[in-house]
Amino acid sequence: MASDVMIEARGLTKRYGAFRALDKVSFEVKRGEVVGFIGPNGAGKSTTMRILTCYLSATQGSARVDNRDVFDEPLKVRESIGYLPQRANMYGDMGVLEYLRFAAELRGIDHATFRKRMKDVVEVCGLGNVLGKDIRTLSHGFRQRVGLGQALLHNPPVLILDEPTSDLDPNERAEVIEYIRKVGKDRTIMLSTHNLKEVEMACARVIIVSRGRIVADGSLDEVRARGGRVSYTVEIDAKQAVEAGKNYRQSLQPPQSSAEAEQALEAIDGVLSVAERPTGGETYKFVLKGTKDTDLRTEIYNLCVQKGWLLHSLERQLPSLEDVFKLLTKSDEIGARGKVAADVAEALDDEDDIDDEDDIDDEDDVDDEDDVDDEDDVDDEDEVDESEDADVDEEDRK
Amino acid sequence: MPTLTIAKRELRSYWNSPIAYVVICISLLGLSLVFFNLNGGFWEANRASLTLLFQYLPQALGLIVIPVITMRLVAEERQTGTLEMLITLPVTDRQVIIGKFLGAWGLVMTLVAATSLFPVMMFGVWNLGSLDSGPVLSSYLGVTLYSAAAVSIGLFISSLTESQIIAFFITTVMLFFLNLFGSILALDVLPDNIKLAATFISFNERLRDFVRGMINLRDVVFFLSVTGLCLAGSIWGLERRKWA
Repeated sequence: MASDVMIEARGLTKRYGAFRALDKVSFEVKRGEVVGFIGPNGAGKSTTMRILTCYLSATQGSARVDNRDVFDEPLKVRESIGYLPQRANMYGDMGVLEYLRFAAELRGIDHATFRKRMKDVVEVCGLGNVLGKDIRTLSHGFRQRVGLGQALLHNPPVLILDEPTSDLDPNERAEVIEYIRKVGKDRTIMLSTHNLKEVEMACARVIIVSRGRIVADGSLDEVRARGGRVSYTVEIDAKQAVEAGKNYRQSLQPPQSSAEAEQALEAIDGVLSVAERPTGGETYKFVLKGTKDTDLRTEIYNLCVQKGWLLHSLERQLPSLEDVFKLLTKSDEIGARGKVAADVAEALDDEDDIDDEDDIDDEDDVDDEDDVDDEDDVDDEDEVDESEDADVDEEDRK
Repeated sequence: MPTLTIAKRELRSYWNSPIAYVVICISLLGLSLVFFNLNGGFWEANRASLTLLFQYLPQALGLIVIPVITMRLVAEERQTGTLEMLITLPVTDRQVIIGKFLGAWGLVMTLVAATSLFPVMMFGVWNLGSLDSGPVLSSYLGVTLYSAAAVSIGLFISSLTESQIIAFFITTVMLFFLNLFGSILALDVLPDNIKLAATFISFNERLRDFVRGMINLRDVVFFLSVTGLCLAGSIWGLERRKWA
């Protein structure tokens, strides 16, 4: 095995009775990677992290951290991990400094090293003012900072942070994310969060889990591309055309109506749909959908040049991480809801055995109908975002 | 080393909260009331002996002090979630359990040591008579071993539950039966072999020889075995989280 693989999970399965919290989860994280580990609540993020930190054992599968097996050498594994559990609960009756010293003692850090590391930790986590206070008197945000400080104390090669920003205010969040970016250069960081913006800011790689399974794993762009269709925002002047040059025989006209422009755009090979967006009347604005493998910007530009239309803006947008997240994890939820609905229906009326069974089946057939629905949902939200983006563009131009 | 660090933290947390002060003060007060006044107490016996003290001390420890001290050991950490933080540090489950045991036992021994005020004040300062120190020393050894066994039972029960209240009640009930088997409980109605078994596991029966001044190896081994067994059980109780 390559030595720069710092975290390796192979077929991790965790069952709680009949409930399968993790289902054959496999992934690798290399040295220096900052991985965003995201998924809906109850998807298995914390369970995975707890297995990696040897707090829980997997029912099946194996995991290695820093080339050591989590089952065979739990102490060595824990030594190389800095871990911040989800709620960062610490002994309330201890002072902050007292607690950090306690953690350091358990990690076998001697006094001199502790003093040296404390300078870093206090500065990074902003603990200077609370060192003497009891942990129970601190706000959630500060407790989270103490937890983070505890995780950084031994300068670990691997950091596992379970929702490190959940209780922080926006400024503190930004600081923590900034810090994660900073230390992530020479460290392996696995970060779970519900805030996808943070992932987009700090993580080069994303793993999305849903109902105990990995549904996406790849670089940020790769995962974003999973969203399926890309969209284009096109804005064409409604009042004036391109100023005709000497070589032009005919005088050029702007589109007579939005319908004309819409038809012309629809005719481009590869355009799946065109939707008009409201404007102030100065321009016509459209949002086009295309397949993810193609780039239609050339075709759109050429069309406008041929027609002599004045092109105000043309932008190609990949789906955001949030779109992909919804797309990949919502289908499960819809499936589950469909099942519940079916169960309820079945229980309520025995006479009408309508299409309950079909509903249950739908859960498995997510790829078919549900998927289509989802994509449409995502598209709608997309469009909202895009119009906002376009507004910003307008302002920029002014 | 991690074991001692955990023990130290555990002990300190008792003194950080009112538990230690309340438990020790009330126990000493209660003990002296009972020792000097119940049925005439020490005065009525009219002997320079602490036998009575060592009859009451294990009951006080077993029925209130030890359940109160041990109920929180694992249950509280599990409930508040501090356990995850502790266990994901590089410590083994065994170190956690033994550390916690030493911390709680240490507090109980502080109380036991405080009861030495009785002999010191009564026979050293006020000269109420000449005390035969042999039985006193052997009694302290007995109480020490008894405390270890009782604390480990409380720790074991605490390691099985998330609720401190449940841990407290089950520990109290268990220690009540274990203490009083063979003495107060009506043994006559029981068949012979059960009576024998009851006497065998009765903590009070085991303590009787110590109070008389006899150190019986069988009793020493008995208390140590109970301690060892319950500690092993506690480690198992803590490890259960992995597979639950």
